[in-house]
Amino acid sequence: MMMESSISTALSAPIHSSVLWLIPFLPAFGAMLNGATGRRARNPKLVDTIALGAMALSFLVVLCCFARLLGQQPEGRSLNQTLWTWFSLGGAHVLGAHGAVGLTENTMNWAYKFDPLSGAMALLVTGVGFLIHLFSTGYMAEERANGTYYRYMAYLNLFVFSMLNLVLGANMIIMFLGWEGVGLCSYLLIGFYFDREACAIAGKKAFVTNRIGDFGFLIGFFLIFMVYGATDFDTLMGMTRTILARPEITLFGYSHAPTWWFNLIGCCLFLGACGKSAQIPLYVWLPDAMAGPTPVSALIHAATMVTSGLYMITRMNFLYVNAPVALGLVLCIGSLTALVAASMGLAQYDIKKVLAYSTVSQLGFMFMGMGAGAFSAGMFHVFTHAFFKAALFLGSGSVIMACHHEQDMRNMGGLRKLMPWTFASMGIATLAIAGIFPFSGFFSKDEILWKVFEGWYQGGHALNLLAWIMGMLAAFMTAFYMVRLMVMTFFGEYRGAGQDPHGLTVPSLVVHAAHEAHNAHDAHDAHGASHGHDAPAGHGPREVPWNMWLPVAILAFLALVAGFLNIPHSLHWIGSSHFSEWIAPLLFQSGPAEAAHEAAPAMEYLLMAVATLVWAPAAMALAWWFYGQDPTWSRPRAFVQRFPDLFRWVNAKYYVDEFYEAAFIGPCKQLGAQLWAFDSLAVDGMVNGAARCTLMVSHAAHWFDAKVVDGLVNLVAWLLQQLSSGFRRFQTGRVQNYAFVMFLGFLVFAFWKFLA
Amino acid sequence: MVSMNAVLFLSFLLFSVGVAGVLIRRNVLIILMCVEVMLNAANLNLVAFARHSGTVAGQAFALLVMGLAAAEVSIGLALVVALYRKKGSVQVDEINLLKG
Repeated sequence: MMMESSISTALSAPIHSSVLWLIPFLPAFGAMLNGATGRRARNPKLVDTIALGAMALSFLVVLCCFARLLGQQPEGRSLNQTLWTWFSLGGAHVLGAHGAVGLTENTMNWAYKFDPLSGAMALLVTGVGFLIHLFSTGYMAEERANGTYYRYMAYLNLFVFSMLNLVLGANMIIMFLGWEGVGLCSYLLIGFYFDREACAIAGKKAFVTNRIGDFGFLIGFFLIFMVYGATDFDTLMGMTRTILARPEITLFGYSHAPTWWFNLIGCCLFLGACGKSAQIPLYVWLPDAMAGPTPVSALIHAATMVTSGLYMITRMNFLYVNAPVALGLVLCIGSLTALVAASMGLAQYDIKKVLAYSTVSQLGFMFMGMGAGAFSAGMFHVFTHAFFKAALFLGSGSVIMACHHEQDMRNMGGLRKLMPWTFASMGIATLAIAGIFPFSGFFSKDEILWKVFEGWYQGGHALNLLAWIMGMLAAFMTAFYMVRLMVMTFFGEYRGAGQDPHGLTVPSLVVHAAHEAHNAHDAHDAHGASHGHDAPAGHGPREVPWNMWLPVAILAFLALVAGFLNIPHSLHWIGSSHFSEWIAPLLFQSGPAEAAHEAAPAMEYLLMAVATLVWAPAAMALAWWFYGQDPTWSRPRAFVQRFPDLFRWVNAKYYVDEFYEAAFIGPCKQLGAQLWAFDSLAVDGMVNGAARCTLMVSHAAHWFDAKVVDGLVNLVAWLLQQLSSGFRRFQTGRVQNYAFVMFLGFLVFAFWKFLA
Repeated sequence: MVSMNAVLFLSFLLFSVGVAGVLIRRNVLIILMCVEVMLNAANLNLVAFARHSGTVAGQAFALLVMGLAAAEVSIGLALVVALYRKKGSVQVDEINLLKG
């Protein structure tokens, strides 16, 4: 790969750290505290304090650990903490170190590992997470009034806990725990407004789609466990060479070369990554996930959770490097997703939908980089993308809020003067994502594209050239739709509130504004300055409060400067590639470090210059020419009239959702209906038949009991009654009768005595 | 001097009246009174035989019977009151709980 340092991939004695557990568990405590007591909190600021405090403390601990890491030698950069043994597996039937299937003891530890990769991810999760928490205090102000605010904050903290488990977990079990945890929190937060059916359905869609991916992830995980007999990453990486050296591996009676198994595992794990990171064919949930609150879209569905697939692949790089087929699949899927999703973003009108397809597309870029073997380039794009996409999402959140929950860009416009901070921040982020020098996107995206191109240029597979062409097209589209978004939102005249000189607006789809305005009425008394929708006719949009524009501005600043952390080799006169060197100890070295890639700087210079000076500016200029220059949008209209079918297909996202509905969901439902019919007829029929039989038998038994058994008893009683009827007469119950009989007896006795 | 036979005959009459009353009358109070009559018939016998034999044991025994009768009547009347409260009547033909 791209590292020079030692081949001994560093299993030097890991450093123990006793504070690591605080990083994930502080947000967990925050979630528990807010979840349990937030509803009854008298002071609403208490919920903020707990949630933000947990995040800030966690961020500080990460910073301390990071500083400690910086002080170590590159090979020794790993802090470890084992909290407890989660469970022990006695006699798992796995291959293990001996190379033959056998029974081994395995202990699954609840352990954390803070190394350059997970540390950088933790820094991202807690840092960006804190900013987004801060933004949420402003954006979710309306929910304070209707009492769901504490729930939101608790979910958000719980998400950070899960995400930190995912990245800090020292073995696959903890990673899988976090993997499922973020899925759960994603579901909870997408469906946060669960009283709206669309949100509940979107949450369900995300969850179910992720289950398909998780199926692959689990199969891959089990295969790894069977091949290695271990789950913690250090052991896996250390054993890889031993396993590769085997002539073949036999599992389930099939013997294949280790690479064959690695390919299988890689493909299975990549299916999981496709689900979590929204790649074709499982990307469909991400655009729908925009039904959740916008800060959630920024944190979960742009900056952190959707990158966990990339993190996982980088973590498993030792496997993918030795699995050429799986890596080729990653390359193909990544580049295809980058292109297709970018094209879908071209024709969306919902501001969040544009950003959602943009996210899918950018994730495709990252996978493309990893597919070309450039793990550090892919990971670096994860970071820069987190900054500029979070800034864009939060900025769009501010815009949506300022426009009274309007999300259709046709009903916006002209916000540049009204919201200067938001405009400036989103402008920087747009330049970054378009790949303009020296914004961060240039360094990360062009590094990926160069690595892909280099793969072909250095005599590699033609697939790389195809992927590179698709990537370049996607980059062009990226610049186009981002400028389109900026122009439609921030330039021209404001088209809300009835001001629409060119007839561009559409009937607003704001289904929930009235509902929320109703609930939020109280909130506005307290947070009256937060935004303008308490005055529907009065004033238009205005700048959001500081706790909303400040996080966006910070993220935009990071998007501006972060690129300098990883300067490509060919531009070494600007700086060095800190990031690549930083995570290099975690990358598996299949051979000696390549010297070849110094060979073609001329070509690299040329491509870079073309990309940043010609390609992206051309796309931006085209978008400006389409939407900015002519405020009546006559050019896009003419274009649509000329190619109506093209626009319709792109606008409808190529009818993929409809295709899935017809091809998979419909048949699934039909199968379900048939199974239900079988269940209700056959299974329930059997149960009901048994019940009916029991009923009949018990009816017969009841008849026998009532007629025969009771009849016998009653017969005896009746006979006794009949027999005794004669004697009953004597018992008159009158005392005088008895006395008279007594008297007669006395008389008889007396006469008999006297006469005898 | 009244002859012994006359006294015994009176006693017999009294006792017969008492027995007839107990057996025939329906009112509990009258039945109680008839019981008293029967007791006093016996007392008359005791006193008569005491004078005849010239001892006082019989007279003393008559006194004892009178005391006993007083106690008996007090209990009997109490029972009658309880009966009346329970049934609202003192007619014995209405009291036939032992009827088979």
